[in-house]
Amino acid sequence: MQKAIEVNNLIKDYGNFRALKGLSFEVSQGEVFGLIGPNAAGKTTALRIISTLLQITSGEVKIFGYDVIKEAGKVREKISYLPEEAGAYKNLSGKDYLEFMAGFYSNNDKEKREIVDKGIELAKLGERLKDKASTYSKGMTRRLLIARALMFNPKLAILDEPTSGLDVIISQEIRKIIKDFVKKGTTVLLSSHNMLEVEFLCDRIALINKGLILEIGTPQELKEKYKSKNIEEVFINAIR
Amino acid sequence: MKNFNNLLKKEIKELLTKQMLIGLIFVVMMFGMMGQFMGGIKKDFEKPINLAVLDLDKSQYSEKVLNKLSEQKNIKLAIIEETDIKEAINETKEKGAAVLLVIPDGFEKNTQAMEKTELEVYSIMKGLGIKETTSNRTLVAIINSINKEISMNFLQETFPDKNPENITSPLKVKEFVVVKDKMASGNPAMIQGLATIHSTMIPIILMILIIYAGSMIMVSMGSEKENKTLETLLTLPIKRIWIVIAKMLGASVTAFLMAGALLGGFRYYMSSMTPNVSDSGAILENLGLTMAPLSYILLGISLFLAILIALSLCMILGMFAQDTKSAQTLNFPIILLVMIPYFLLMFQGVESLSLPMKIFLYVIPFSHPIIASEALVFHNYSIVFGGIVYMIIFTITTMYILVRLFNTDKVLTARFSLKKLKRK
Repeated sequence: MQKAIEVNNLIKDYGNFRALKGLSFEVSQGEVFGLIGPNAAGKTTALRIISTLLQITSGEVKIFGYDVIKEAGKVREKISYLPEEAGAYKNLSGKDYLEFMAGFYSNNDKEKREIVDKGIELAKLGERLKDKASTYSKGMTRRLLIARALMFNPKLAILDEPTSGLDVIISQEIRKIIKDFVKKGTTVLLSSHNMLEVEFLCDRIALINKGLILEIGTPQELKEKYKSKNIEEVFINAIR
Repeated sequence: MKNFNNLLKKEIKELLTKQMLIGLIFVVMMFGMMGQFMGGIKKDFEKPINLAVLDLDKSQYSEKVLNKLSEQKNIKLAIIEETDIKEAINETKEKGAAVLLVIPDGFEKNTQAMEKTELEVYSIMKGLGIKETTSNRTLVAIINSINKEISMNFLQETFPDKNPENITSPLKVKEFVVVKDKMASGNPAMIQGLATIHSTMIPIILMILIIYAGSMIMVSMGSEKENKTLETLLTLPIKRIWIVIAKMLGASVTAFLMAGALLGGFRYYMSSMTPNVSDSGAILENLGLTMAPLSYILLGISLFLAILIALSLCMILGMFAQDTKSAQTLNFPIILLVMIPYFLLMFQGVESLSLPMKIFLYVIPFSHPIIASEALVFHNYSIVFGGIVYMIIFTITTMYILVRLFNTDKVLTARFSLKKLKRK
């Protein structure tokens, strides 16, 4: 079966600074794969490259067999990217925003309506969807953006720190949305420095630090390998 | 195309906010009110002035002056009976007159003896506005004409077989202006003035459009970064060139709307003050200084290309903006490039500039629509075509750079920092 993501010896430099130092990993279709690591480990850079936003210094990245540089257009048809610090258009209402985004993934009005309905269901913002996004709290905006990222059933959802900066209750709601959603077979690549979240959501994880992958495996495999109770301990032991 | 329309609608919705529309309506209303006000003042100027006259001479000559004054359409005459000046001024005020003219005793005697007579004029001021001086200026003009008439009468009586006009002004000038092989009555200053009325609007329109469209597109780029929506936008399944075009078109539509409303208001304001020059069209037509339909098309192309260049340059600069505030300051170089040709060509034609200045002006793409607006009046097409070709090359180059940059990660990573510059 064709891999959803293939990353081979990926290197990314920002001027003199090397952010990624030869990353390699593969993600199968329908798998939930997590990149975990501390701040500035290179998680966001890797996700941005996979999302066709950044150029590559060297190496190769393929999404469902399409090269992210040479066939960026094809890749964008398959993916949905949720950046860590994303926002919505301030002068559009939540519903307008979902309709605007649905327009890119539908071929006719019926399809568009179905996608928007799905988005409304995922966002769970009720009547507030009619209000402008500029009036939303951080949690409401994040729910809207998660809904936007998942409503059209992307083949690959790339979620950068999906619950970053949110309170426990909203974080749990969002995790539930993602967990329910992946049951339908969508491939998910997510990054987080919240180890519990990753353990809860991911089939396999990669520990990343200073632009290098330290370990790849299922949470259970890694816990056994490092004789740790949880992924947090695994991570601490791995970077020592 | 469906995706492009979707993007364009979003761009317009984002730029055409309620706050912006309210601001625009307010500015247009201000122009309208100012126009109404100025129109009212203009009408006031056309109203007859209330003039009070105190005749202390009570002679045939002073009677003639009074008759002459009462014949004037722009004067409403009130005769003052009080002989004391202070009392006469009070009576003038009571009668609502703005000016009191005093014809002194001995007026007839002095005039007949060819000696100067001093007429006293008292202007009653109620404020410092321009309107306060109207009555006085009208009266002075009338006194000048009475002065002239007294002289003419004297000359007529002394030289009954001569035309007194020929004695006071023996020389007469009839001026003609020649443009290429066409000729018309008038002097160059008058023709320049008339032609300027036709060509001034083009640089103003260009300036307003570029400033507005440039600001709009920069704000659009700045707010994408500020609201953290750019990354999502760039991962949507639509070619980057369509994102660029949608942003440019959205900014243009908004700018055209704003500039149209502002120019409409401005024109209304100006028309309330500017006198109608009804003969200007005929004089300019006689000289061939009118624009043919082809000229309008060429001017339109030139303006369109200038706006396209401005938008591309602004968008390139907009990539360096981190938020809407920094975006608004980054369009300053573009505004400067529009202002330079506007001010340079305001005072002299491009032909009268030195060679280095000419080259400098030709290099700036925004000079060409301004040059074209004058050149087309003189049917000088070669300079216009040259300008259009240069602008097409410039447009293709800037658009190419813009799309190339938009396809790289510069669109996300480019930053303009004053701190960095200072460190260097």
